[in-house]
Amino acid sequence: MAPRFEYAQAEEVRDSFARHGVRYLFIGKSGAILLGYPDTTQDADLFLEKSETNGAAAVAALRELGFDLTGPQADEIRRGKDFVQIRSGPFDLDLVFAPDGIETFDGAWQRRVEVEGFPVCHPDDIIRSKEAANRAKDRESLPRLRAFRDYWQRTRR
Amino acid sequence: MAPEPDERERREWEAEFEAAARRPLRTRLRYAFIHTYKPVLDDATYRSFDTMAEYRAWCTRELPDWLGYGPAV
Repeated sequence: MAPRFEYAQAEEVRDSFARHGVRYLFIGKSGAILLGYPDTTQDADLFLEKSETNGAAAVAALRELGFDLTGPQADEIRRGKDFVQIRSGPFDLDLVFAPDGIETFDGAWQRRVEVEGFPVCHPDDIIRSKEAANRAKDRESLPRLRAFRDYWQRTRR
Repeated sequence: MAPEPDERERREWEAEFEAAARRPLRTRLRYAFIHTYKPVLDDATYRSFDTMAEYRAWCTRELPDWLGYGPAV
């Protein structure tokens, strides 16, 4: 089991992905937490633009971060399979190339929020993706997440 | 679907949001990411799915219900 995801590791992702020019957004509960949502989660979820160039950049960045990817695994990420779960690195990571409920990466990118240099999906997109996924665990947490979205919109500067 | 919160619950959440907003990001992340073993899900170092529908179907088929990855009823 990988160590916990910490601020330093979030910084490494941000910096390595920037160096390699990866187009990505934090999404899911890890994204909400970056926005200030008080809750717990187990892994970081990244929404990546689906293109061969971006996939290749992501592979280079992930290897630099210490993720042990085989050749076929790297090919799958370059190709942009919709969902990739990696547990062979310094922390647990889910890569999502086509999250439920979000039509295009470009649209989500335009709505993004920057938090200390971390690109994060807008809370509306995080909520939309959880609504569309319709998982039992998300349904239970959605009322609190919506309340956070309302608080965040009211108080953001 | 989870029931909508009552007024008392809303006030408690607001207090939690305000307390979180006072903490720096570094501190928030320190307490946000936890690690507990999830059966099946954590038993492979790598998995990939061509479509999200395939991933959702795999979760429903393979994961214990109590993990909550299956569809909400």
